[in-house]
Amino acid sequence: MLLVTCPVCHASGDETDFHFGGQAHVARPATSNPEGISDEQQREYLFTRINPKGLHFERVRCDRGCGKWFHAARDTMTMEFKAFYGITELPPDHVIKQAKGAWAEYFTMRMKKQK
Amino acid sequence: MLEPRFESALALRGEPTTTYVSMREITTRGMIDLRGLTSDRKFMAAAKAVLGFDLPKAPRTSNSFGDVKVLWLSPDQWLVLCAREKAPSLAAEFAKATENTHALAVDVSDMRSIIRIEGEGSREVMMKGCSLDFTDADFTPGYVRRVRFAEIAALFTIVDASTIDLYVFRSYANYAWDFLLKAARKGSEVGLFNGR
Repeated sequence: MLLVTCPVCHASGDETDFHFGGQAHVARPATSNPEGISDEQQREYLFTRINPKGLHFERVRCDRGCGKWFHAARDTMTMEFKAFYGITELPPDHVIKQAKGAWAEYFTMRMKKQK
Repeated sequence: MLEPRFESALALRGEPTTTYVSMREITTRGMIDLRGLTSDRKFMAAAKAVLGFDLPKAPRTSNSFGDVKVLWLSPDQWLVLCAREKAPSLAAEFAKATENTHALAVDVSDMRSIIRIEGEGSREVMMKGCSLDFTDADFTPGYVRRVRFAEIAALFTIVDASTIDLYVFRSYANYAWDFLLKAARKGSEVGLFNGR
């Protein structure tokens, strides 16, 4: 049993009160310019997912509570939740620092974009 | 033309004698689904003007005045409880007051069935169906929460120390009733709340 805390309504509950929504931070490439998107980019968006051993970032819905989507940082090996954060937000800095591999690359790219 | 007529989903169910809590359906309550943004001042003012009191902003709380009660469902959603015959006119009042704001008010009186569970074991019976700890200090009268109860979506409010109102979607009413009959069968008491 995993205990999840919703960052929107702050309700703690069993994982069955929540709904898992797949990998977090998957950006749709065709939002602004559908014609300029290659098949490879669309394929990446639809099917390619990160499957790390260790820290992972996922979407979760407060399904039986306030009904809002949010993000969770979870360790896939220990099942420990490192952080819960808003759907429009990036994880807390100390969690980003722990990210490895594909996630580390992703957050470095996001940080550059923000600057 | 035929007038729409309310028929309870639990009309054929009598008050059970086999359970250690009392169970009955509340059919006289009307419900209005109200949605809007708390950041929208116009909406909050309009809601207050219609209700006479503020919408509850804190999660899992409720506010009431007179025979109208408002349950917090989500940061942008409330369930307004009033007398069943009053619901259509109150929904229309909301619709008129929130005309120029991004908001919604719909009479959903027939959407959910309400089961009132009464007795010393009422919290214990609820605990048999969901993962919440009803001994928690938060669970005081006025507490509202949506939860997965007996594998279905439900909403409950704590009315007083030994009374709980359970709201389930109408199509699940008979299932929920059957579940409660079994969960609260005499002889299956755990005695968790004895003397509390």
